[in-house]
Amino acid sequence: MSGLFLLGALFLCLAAGVPVAIALGLASIATMLLFSDQSLAALAQRFFSATQVYPLLAIPFFILAGQLMTSGGVAKRMIAFANALVGRFRGGLGMAALLACAFFAAVSGSSPATVVAVGSIMIAGMVRSGYSKAFGAGLICNAGTLGILIPPSIVLVVYGAVTETSVGDLFMAGVLPGISLGAALLVTVAIVARRRNLPRQPPVDLRTLLVTARDAGWGLALVAIVLGGIYAGVFTPTEAAAVSAVYALLVVLLVYRDMPLAAVPRVLVDSARVTAMLMFIIANAYLFAFVLTTEQIPQAISAWIIDLGLPAWAFLLAVNLLLLAAGAFMEPTSVILILAPILFPIAMELGIHPVHLGIVMTVNLEIGLVTPPVGLNLFVTSGVAEMPVTAVIRAALPWLGVLLAMLAVVTYVPGLSLALPELLGAR
Amino acid sequence: MFIAATLAFMTLVTFVQVVLRYAFGTGFVWSLEATTYAFAWMILIGMSYCVRTNAHIAVELVTERLPATAARVVGFAALAASLAYCAFMVYGSAVFVGRLVALGNYARDIPLPRWVLTGIMPIAFALLGARLVQAAWRAATGGAGTQRSLAVPGAALRPDRGPAAERPADAAAERSRR
Repeated sequence: MSGLFLLGALFLCLAAGVPVAIALGLASIATMLLFSDQSLAALAQRFFSATQVYPLLAIPFFILAGQLMTSGGVAKRMIAFANALVGRFRGGLGMAALLACAFFAAVSGSSPATVVAVGSIMIAGMVRSGYSKAFGAGLICNAGTLGILIPPSIVLVVYGAVTETSVGDLFMAGVLPGISLGAALLVTVAIVARRRNLPRQPPVDLRTLLVTARDAGWGLALVAIVLGGIYAGVFTPTEAAAVSAVYALLVVLLVYRDMPLAAVPRVLVDSARVTAMLMFIIANAYLFAFVLTTEQIPQAISAWIIDLGLPAWAFLLAVNLLLLAAGAFMEPTSVILILAPILFPIAMELGIHPVHLGIVMTVNLEIGLVTPPVGLNLFVTSGVAEMPVTAVIRAALPWLGVLLAMLAVVTYVPGLSLALPELLGAR
Repeated sequence: MFIAATLAFMTLVTFVQVVLRYAFGTGFVWSLEATTYAFAWMILIGMSYCVRTNAHIAVELVTERLPATAARVVGFAALAASLAYCAFMVYGSAVFVGRLVALGNYARDIPLPRWVLTGIMPIAFALLGARLVQAAWRAATGGAGTQRSLAVPGAALRPDRGPAAERPADAAAERSRR
């Protein structure tokens, strides 16, 4: 009963356009006042303690590093390097666009920012070389989603914090599925290029390759510092995030010289604002999770599911359908925050690995970024490519098929996610 | 800006802590606690700044399909709900801070009573309420910065806040609205 009220109140508030954070908080407060004897002071204390959760401290630092790395110059260097690597193959410009998206998404951590930065250069370039605009827009729109899976990823930090799963393991687990997704898209580009006889780029000499590699390497080293640092035990994910922010600042100011020192305060304000917006949602999601737990709602659902005799694979299928639906209406972090506290205990009952569940949820949410009505990447691509949104949706559709196929692989081959963290000594 | 200063402070303290640990095998005992409190302050002050800059995420799918009058009614219901939330949180956090005042205990590593560090909470939620009323007033009177509901979905995540990627994203936001 209390569970139905909690979810009903939440959906009512969301539908009425109440900000997601307040909708979560208000639904939790109302449920608690009506159905249990907890006090408002206990909820306020809970809210404050959510701001003291150590792993969540990584979020502002990663956002800051990403914002610093979101300059046009960084994207140009990634594109030059990607082009030098794969440009010589048939459909090389398309492959280079894809690789550049993966590189840039990894360091900026933002899917829409990737679409803008890479798309604004590469879509026009592809059209000039004889690709159709729909091909370029659809490719960039989907490739931009790789950012939330390839570490460092804020979505994974949030999942780790909410479910108390190791953020380091999640980051490592994201690597192979991220590469596989990129590879699947790459193969698709190669096949289409062969069929449409798309042009090659002139091959580059070794010198150019090395120079572009060095230029892009300064930025890409950020990912290596974060992953290497965490796994070598040099620092915690939170400290890694702070180090990467300082590193990003130094690279942008001293090596790339893309940004004047005077622009830094602006970046700080923007990063702090995005953090506050996200953390306000997260803190309220802690209230939501608190009420879920005190009312024993996930336990009730999982008892019901186990009574049904639902096997783990069927549960994962249901999880996928639920997340695809939710991801089409809300942005990734909100979905994780609302659904992870409900799904996680059930998945544990069914013996699904917590890290694997996190990766499955993240891939689902990637797909949510390119499915209407609220696929953020679709709107951004529409702006960058100067195409109507409906045309972008059509252009993205074939690529979406690739993502869905990979989702099935990631869901039913847990080893793809778990091999790397296990190899590196996770439990 | 206060929130930018807290972010810079948090980043530097955490970074220096790592450097100190590796270079000199030492560190500040207060650094972790100071960072987490700075984080809390940034969020609490930042949430009303997000209202002012229209950065909160909301689901607009339903509201933007309603006829104008209905949208107005729903908009005010949403505002009322949000204000109720603020009122609950002001009350709850005031009681919470009040208990800490009565208890009078100190923070772990910072030489300040805990109520001084958490006392910002009721103030922050009151400020959030005030900003919400202000935003709604602007929307109702149709002045500068008119908006149809309390927030634009995904506004803060749009890359037009990025330093160098300004133009295309602005264009994207424009077009998606048209």
